[in-house]
This record gives sequence, structure tokens and C-alpha cells, in this order.
Amino acid sequence: MPRERQRPEEQKKGTRDRRANRTILLRTLVLMALFGIGAFIPLFGKLYAIQITEHENYQKRAIEQQTRDNAVSASRGRIIDSGGTILATSGTVYDVILSPTDFVKLQERWDKAFTDSETGRKKTEAKGYYDRPELEQVAAALGEILGIDPERAASRLAKNSSYEVLATRVETEIAEEIQKLISDMRLSNSVYTVPTTKRYYPKGSLAAQLIGWVNWRNDNKGAYGMEALYESELAGETGRVVTARNGDGTEMKYSFQEYYEATDGNDLHLTVDSTIQYYCERILEKGVEMFDVQNGGFVIAMDPKTGAIKAWANSPDYDLNNPWAVTDPVLDEYLKTVQEDPSTTEEAYNKAVKETLERQWRNKAMNDSYEPGSTFKSMVLAAALEEGVISESSTYYCPGYYMVDDTKISCSKKEPGHLSQTLAQAVANSCNPAFMMIGQALGAEKFYNYLADFGFLEKTGIDMQGEGNSIVWDRRTFTAASTQQNTYLATASFGQGFQATPIQLITAASAVINGGHLMQPYVMDSITDSQGNIIAQTEPTEVRQVISEETSERCRAILEGVVDGGTGKRAYVPGYRIGGKTGSSETIESRRGEDRTIVSFLGFAPADDPQIVVLLAYDAPKPVTPGNNLTAKGYYISGGNMAALMAGELMADILDHMGIERNYSESERSLIDVTVPNLTGQTAQVGKEAAENAGFTVRTVGEGDTVTAQIPVGGAVIPSGSQIVLYLGQEKPADLVAVPDVRGRTAAQAQEILGRYGLYLKVGGASKYMSSNAIVASQSINVGLSVERGTVVECLFSDNTMTE
Amino acid sequence: MPRRTRDLTMSQQLARGPIDLPFLMLVVMLATIGVIMVFSASFATAVNEERRATYYFERQAIFAVMGLVAMYIISRINYQHFRMMSLLVLGISFLLLLLVLVPGVHTNRTDGVRRWIRSIGPIPSFQPSEVVKLGVVLFFSARMSKRGSEKKRQYDTSVTLGQIAQKLEDWGFMELVPYGVILLAIAVLMYFEPHLSGTILILVPAAAILFVGGVKLRWFAMGGAAAGGLLLLMLQGYQSKRILVWKDPWAYSQDGGYQIIQSLYAIGSGGLFGVGFGQSRQKQLFLPEPENDFIFSIVCEELGLIGAGLILLLFALLILRGYWIALHARDKFGSLLVVGIITLMAVQVFLNISVVTNLLPTTGISLPFFSYGGTALMIQLAEMGIVLSVSRQIPAPKQG
Repeated sequence: MPRERQRPEEQKKGTRDRRANRTILLRTLVLMALFGIGAFIPLFGKLYAIQITEHENYQKRAIEQQTRDNAVSASRGRIIDSGGTILATSGTVYDVILSPTDFVKLQERWDKAFTDSETGRKKTEAKGYYDRPELEQVAAALGEILGIDPERAASRLAKNSSYEVLATRVETEIAEEIQKLISDMRLSNSVYTVPTTKRYYPKGSLAAQLIGWVNWRNDNKGAYGMEALYESELAGETGRVVTARNGDGTEMKYSFQEYYEATDGNDLHLTVDSTIQYYCERILEKGVEMFDVQNGGFVIAMDPKTGAIKAWANSPDYDLNNPWAVTDPVLDEYLKTVQEDPSTTEEAYNKAVKETLERQWRNKAMNDSYEPGSTFKSMVLAAALEEGVISESSTYYCPGYYMVDDTKISCSKKEPGHLSQTLAQAVANSCNPAFMMIGQALGAEKFYNYLADFGFLEKTGIDMQGEGNSIVWDRRTFTAASTQQNTYLATASFGQGFQATPIQLITAASAVINGGHLMQPYVMDSITDSQGNIIAQTEPTEVRQVISEETSERCRAILEGVVDGGTGKRAYVPGYRIGGKTGSSETIESRRGEDRTIVSFLGFAPADDPQIVVLLAYDAPKPVTPGNNLTAKGYYISGGNMAALMAGELMADILDHMGIERNYSESERSLIDVTVPNLTGQTAQVGKEAAENAGFTVRTVGEGDTVTAQIPVGGAVIPSGSQIVLYLGQEKPADLVAVPDVRGRTAAQAQEILGRYGLYLKVGGASKYMSSNAIVASQSINVGLSVERGTVVECLFSDNTMTE
Repeated sequence: MPRRTRDLTMSQQLARGPIDLPFLMLVVMLATIGVIMVFSASFATAVNEERRATYYFERQAIFAVMGLVAMYIISRINYQHFRMMSLLVLGISFLLLLLVLVPGVHTNRTDGVRRWIRSIGPIPSFQPSEVVKLGVVLFFSARMSKRGSEKKRQYDTSVTLGQIAQKLEDWGFMELVPYGVILLAIAVLMYFEPHLSGTILILVPAAAILFVGGVKLRWFAMGGAAAGGLLLLMLQGYQSKRILVWKDPWAYSQDGGYQIIQSLYAIGSGGLFGVGFGQSRQKQLFLPEPENDFIFSIVCEELGLIGAGLILLLFALLILRGYWIALHARDKFGSLLVVGIITLMAVQVFLNISVVTNLLPTTGISLPFFSYGGTALMIQLAEMGIVLSVSRQIPAPKQG
């Protein structure tokens, strides 16, 4: 500010200047405070509010518009059987997504680039010109590729949205066509495909309830079975690709892309052998059809030494690739009946469908319990032997009933009953009175201890979904003196009056035969990661030793007798030592007078060193008339006549598959079927030796050096020990013989009669067991029909002298 | 070395004083940061327009260099010469304001707004309002500085009109008339462009000069009330939409709110430390014209609250130092000149940042030294040159 010396005449002016200067000073200071400090306070405050307080909110919104976040599905782990067969695997399919808002932007960009702003004319000559993407054309093209209504596609594309799912789970080929369309019509961002996974079950319905399935309607999560139980192992971790996009929606891969790698799920290796599984399902299906079974059935096959589940079959089953479809004939029939009933409302039908689906999905053998019936006698036998209250020399007299507190409980064999029997016979006969006596000898207290020790009071802890509970008396009720107490013990002795789950039963039975070890059953053998490294492995776990090795050995011997001439003889397979126990369970329904018997067979083999134990059951074979003991096809409703018959065939298949060698006894050898070698053209010596090596006896006709003809022809299957006729230098006689009637004859008689005509006997059916009581029920070639010599006549035997 | 032919005059000697270094450094720092931020903010736009990524940056840098040169030259001029020039600049301002309304002179804009004189030959396109600001500040300072030395006018009180005039003179109204006429004329001319924000940017520094110059406070109260009323009146129509958008941008995300929403996203995602220089994602065609009025949003996004706060601090220091220079200026003209220039810049900074943070409704005000625009940057730097020129003549403090 000017600081000049003031002259007197300027003093007045000076005063005014000083006042003005002070005003300038003060007012400048005011502005300084206002603009230099004051104005910045709200600015900084607002910035703080946006950048710190609201930071996350704005950042989230910003990232939402700046990025395109695509999920990368993790490949779900496979489910593999013990032999490496893939039971479940995943493939890639695609979802087709529309972004209508981006489509509008796309059109706007086109308009900007290729329309003359003044005339509105299309600039077709412009560099990089292409046709304007029109909504109708795009919708039509999409509709054609995806096989959907173009109208629908058009309406979705016209929505004011940036995410519209047009189609889900489209196969790769179709997705590729969509990709081509996108590049041809330049639709990037407005139409795109997102890969997702689809579960494939290469074996279809095999082990359906065991494996379970994933529900794509629920995020591809396991819905049932192993898929659900091991969800966390199988699922893996979904990855993401976050790609930056600019305001135009163009992806800017180079500027910013974050890739969160998906972690593939682990592979689940099951103890299940899909071949054994297949045999089990086949036999189940066969039995259901043969015996008119109403409620399906189940088969469990297990390694008795380890508790590893080898097969787990349920009937009815369903196709894992299409779990919402009903494929089982019985269930399908039921649904049709409901549908065709004119009184059925739509609601009722939907309810029936829902119930049917739930029925086919549920794992009957896992979730349900039943009264085990006579199969349970194996455990009673083991307990009594272990406690020393009985021995092989004990004898039992069965008059056909047993009196428990003035109540007459009858034996399956009505009066006069089984009469006098040894222990082994009593087991072979499945004699209820004998077992009531054994139970009594054991006493309620000890009996209950074994019920507990064999694991009937707790879950087995198997790694499967929805293990059911047994229904057993509590200890007080069972052991304390009461009017009912003796009845409880008596009925429990032959496996009635309480319910156990199939897995409890087979686990307990394994303990009886494997040396007394109660093993914890399991299905997961191991889990490996996507590189094949083992992450987890199940070691066989022994829960407890229930009986001694020695008792177990005695039990095996006695139980082998059940198949060797006892109620289980239809399970007999020549060459294999099979042991087991039949069962025909009463049910709550059967006690009410309804027809529901559960016929079962608990078998193991080889009897001296069990490698496999199976529990096979059919629920409710339909009697020909209500209350009848026979089915429409003439089968006697019992475990021995049904389950054992099927079990024999099953065991033979399983043991063959497991590579267990057959050891034939002398008497069995004559009944083994052998294929006749083709010997024509061989020298007499060579031919004769070959035939004998194959197990045949040889008769020669003629004096030549070479075999000119043979009976029967090469390739025919006849019992070994049969006689083969070799013609040396002669033609075989061309005359025909009439087939004789062998029905009602025993095997020996039939073979003798057929032999006289130059015909051969072949024992038909699954069971090869020939008791002296078995007689020919039917023959494959009708009586009196003229056939060539050497023809094989297959005969079916039956033995209805046995019941349980 | 040329021989001096004569001694320097007093004022010439004064004009050779040292320039204010803190102020100079703040200007250079802000201009440098500004140009660098133009590079970061503009390259996505440039690429999208199929230009070199550095297109905007290069142009801005050239103007910055030219502006700094201009600042240097002006800082060496004795600012007393600007007194004479002020009327000339004001005259040119009016000429330009008239010219810009002539078809063919202004740039063609689809919305019909006529704010820019188009580029003619080597002269780049520019807004006349930038020149008007300078003209008004110069003229008002020059005239206001003579206020103290002017004699009070005497009117013939024998006639009624004279009596009224005398009364008004006593109240201090008559001295305001020339200023009022000039501002009104400018406001009317700019109303035809139209250019509300530009008008505000002329009115506020003009008012600041009058305020510091000693005009009675009541006139500011009345003027403020009148301006407020006028503003309210204008907000009834077309402008009211801005208020609605300002209150809730998301309700108008498709028409009007888009830019402010994108600005908030940018600022908000910056957080405390920012996403890093050059890393802004909002400039990728989300935020419209990120190198221009909304460049500060990108600064906030990339440099965070810390970076933005530092830049605010630099601006605050520049403004404080500016007023400090005004306080210490050799004479009233110098003080008023600096007050006008610094106030102009302060208002511009405040309004721009208020707008990008949605503290105030959107209006087109650029951020000094940062927003892309060569002529504006040059004029701003030239104005800083004037301030520096004033700073040279600050008398040295008396020795102790």
C-alpha cells in the first residue's frame, strides 16, 4: 500500500484512504477466509462422505457395471466303481443368455456408424458395413437353432433387462451354432452362452438309489444317494471370470481380467462292483417278474471280511439320467390306472406322480426296516453256540408247534412236524419250535445282549443317506418278567416281533461267518482329487468281536447244510460251497390277514472261507388267490422256493465273476454241463482222448482210424459224465427217435430212460441240486416228438416236499 | 549486454522486484498435475474416437507450455499498464459476445447453444466468456481503485430529478450504475447464448471487487436477494429438472442423472487410496467427457481421498497465497485485480467440485488447470501472470 509522506492539505484525504485501506484489508480477509478455507470444508466433507463412508456402496455399483462376472463351473467329480467303471461323470452344456439392453445399444451403435445423420440413408459403402441386427431376425434365428417359438425369443429380447435366460442346458453342438450366429450377426454382449455342467450316468439305472443324482434345478447339487452324501467332495469350487467392460459393453480382456480358477470336484471310488451290481439287479428284476412281486425288493452284496458293499440293488428303480421319468413297469402301471380313472382329479394325479417318484427314488433297503424272519436264526444259532447252551449233538423234537405260556405257536411244517432232529437238521429245516427252545436255553438277558452285540440296536454307520432305525423292544420290556416276556423271546428266536434294517441284518450275518467280527459297512472306498492323488481312503473298521473264530466256523458248517439239502437247497450251485439261511417274514399286514410275505435268502460263499455275502429279498409275491400259498405261476411263497432259487443263480454269477474256482465233488461232476468238442476229422485216438479229457465217456462204432461222425454234434451242451458216441469210418444212423416221457421220474431214472433212446438229459433251471425227492416237472421237448439221436432234452425238476 | 540509455523510473524499478515464489510454485504444480491428469482421463476417450491415446494430452501440454510462457511474459509487465488496457479488453469482450451470436461465427451444436467462437485459422476455438471474465476484472479493478480519489458528484437539487439523483448519490447508488449497466449488458448478451454458469463466473468476481473496493454492504444484500430471486424464478422451468436430478440422480438415471451417477461411482470407488494412476475404469466410456468438467471425478477415482485432498490443499494454498498477495499489493488497483482473479478461480474450483460431487446441481463449469481446454488454460495461466506481476511490486518488509 502506498506509504507516502502526507502533506497537511492531504490529511483529510489520507484519513479517508486509511479508512478505505482498512476496508480493503478487512474485506479481503473475509474473502480469504470464505474462499480459501470455508469453501473447502464442505468439499472435503462431501468427498469424505463419498469416498470413505459410501465407498463400498459406490464401488459395488461401479464394479457391477464395469465388469461382466461369469461363473466357471467346476467339473464335478466322477463316481467310479471298484473296477474303474465310471458310474457318474459330468459334461459341459450351455445356457443361452440374452441382454436386451445391450442389444438396443448395439442397434444404436449401428445407427450412429452407418446412418447418415441428415438424410437417414444407410451408408452401405462405409468401411466395415454390415446389416443392422433386427430384433425379429435375431429372434427367428435363435428360435430355429434352439427349437423354440421365435415369438417367445422376440418377447424376451424386447424386455428392458440386461439378463434374460433364453435356454438352459443346451448341448455343445447347438451352443456352437449360437456362437456362429453371434459372430455372423455381430451380437456380442447381447447374446451369449454360459457353460454349465450336466451330469451323465453312463450305466443308466444301475445302482440308481445308491448313486443318486444331481438336481440341476437346484444348482446342480446332489439330491439323493452318494451324490448328495458326498456333495462337498464331488462338487468342487465354482470359479469366476471377471472381465472388465467399458461403457459400450465391450469387453476389455487385456486391461482387466481376473480369473478365479474353478477347483474340480474329487472322484469318488466306490466299493461297488458294477458287474455284481448288474447281476443283483438282473436277478431282482427276474424274481419280481417270476413271482409276481408287488412291493419290489432288494439285494445287498457285501464282502463279509471288510464290510465293503459290493452291490446295492433296489426294485423298483429308475433312470438316473432322467429321474423324473417313471420306468418301472409296476409303478408305470399304477400311474396309468390313476390317470385313466375318470374320477381322478388333476391334483390327485399330480399327487400320485409325486408319491411314485418319491417311491422310486427312495432307498428301500436303506431307509426301511422289516421283520427279518428265519434269516435271523443264524444269529440265534451263533449266540447259543458261543454261550455253549447248545451243541452239534443237541437234538430237538418238533411236533409241529411249540407251547409258550399256553399259546400254541406253530411250526412252518404243520403237525406232525419235523419230529426228532439234530441241531444241524433243525437249522436246515428252519424249525421254529427248535429255535424257540434254543432261545429259551439262551435266556432273555443273554439273547438281548447278543441282539445288542450283533448291532441290532444301533445304526451300522454306513456312509449312505438315510439309514433307518431298527424297531426293537427296549431291554427292560424284553427281559423283565411279564405275561408277554416269553412270547417276545420265543418270537424273537425265529426273527419275528421286531424289525431290523437289511444292512443291520447282513452286517450281523457277516459277523456270524467271518470269524465273529462285526464290521462297519461302507461304500466309499477312496476319494481322489482330479490329479488322481488319494485324499481319503476307507479302512475296514471292526466295531467289535461278537463271537469266537471257532463258533463262527461251526456256524458256517451248519449253515452250509441249509443249502446242502435244507430249506436253502435251491441256492445250491455245483462246485461252489454255499451256505445261508432262508427267510419268509411275516409282516404286520400278514398278521392282519393280508397277503404280504417278505421272502428272503441270506447266503454266503465259499462256505469255508466266505468272500461274499448276499441278502436277497422280495417283498410280497402275489398269491394266485388271496391267502393261497402258491403264485399264479405255481411257485410256493417261501424264502426257500423263491429267494434261494434266485440266490443260487446270483451266487454262481458273482462267484464266477470274482474268479473263485469251482471244486466239484464226485457226485456233482456228473451233473456239470460241458460243451461237446467237435471231433469229426480227428484220428480215433486223438478224438477219444479229447472227449475223455472233457469229462465224457466214449463209445466207438466202427473200425476206422478217423472220426467220421459223432453223437451228439460238437457244440452241444450236456452233463459231463454222459456218453459220447464216435463213429469211425461209418455214418451215424439217420433214424429219428420219439422222445419218451420222463416226467415224474427222478434224475437218475430220467437219465437212464433217455440214454436208451440215445438222448441226453440236461438239468434245466438255476438250481442244480438233485435231492432224491426231486422229480422232473417238465421237459423241453414234448413227448412223442421225433428227434435225431444225440438231442439234448432239458428237464426242469421240482421238489415241493419242502416248506419252512 | 545492451547499454542503458537512461535510468529506470520508480515504477520500472518496482516492477523489477522478485515474483512471489510460493504462488508461482503452486501454479506450476497444479498446472503440471492438471496436464498429467488430462492424459490419464482422456486416453480412453481418445482411443474410442480413434485418435492417438495422447491426442488430448499433447494438445493440453502445448497450451500449458504456451500458457506458462504467457504467464512469464505477463508477470514481467508492470501491471499499471493494465489500467489503460482494461477498457480495451472490455470493449473486445462486448464485441466477442455480440460476434458469438452471429451464425457462422459460433460452433454448430445440436442443442443450438452458442458459447464457442469456432476455430479460425491458427486461432483455436474459445469461449468469449473467458475473455469477458478478464475484461470485467480488469475494468472493475481499474475503476474501483480510483474510487477513493474521485470527488463526490454534486447534482442540481433545484429540480426533482436532481434531488433524487443526489439522494441516490448519497446512498452510494450512483457509483454503482456503470458497473451495473456493464454487468446487465453482459448478462443479457450471455442469456442469448445461453450461458448461466459463465454469467455466474463473471458476476461473482465482479461482486468481490466491488465488495473489497468498499461498496456499501446493503447493496450486496439487495443484489444477492435480487440474484436469488431471479435464480428461483428461472428454476421454475427448464432448470427445475436439474434440481430433481440433483436430489435423486438415480430416479433420472436414463435422462439427466447418468453423468452425475457415473461421477459418484468414480469418486466412490476411489476410496482412501484410489485405484491407482491410469487405472480408472469409469473413464472407459462410462463417465461422459472424463477429461473435461468431470476430470476431478477421475482424479478422485485414481488417487483416492488422499490424492484429491492434496489437490484441494494445493488449491486452498494457492487461493490463500493469492489473497495474501492482494493484501500486500502496492496499491488498490493491484489488490482489487488480484482479488478479482483469485475469487474467479476460487469460485470456479468450488463450483466444479461441488458439481462433480453432487453437492450442487449440475452446471458446466470447468476445473482450473485440470479440465481439458487449451484457451481456457492459457487464459487462466495469463491471469496467474497478472497476479505474479502484482506480487513483484510488493514492498519489501521493513528491516527490523
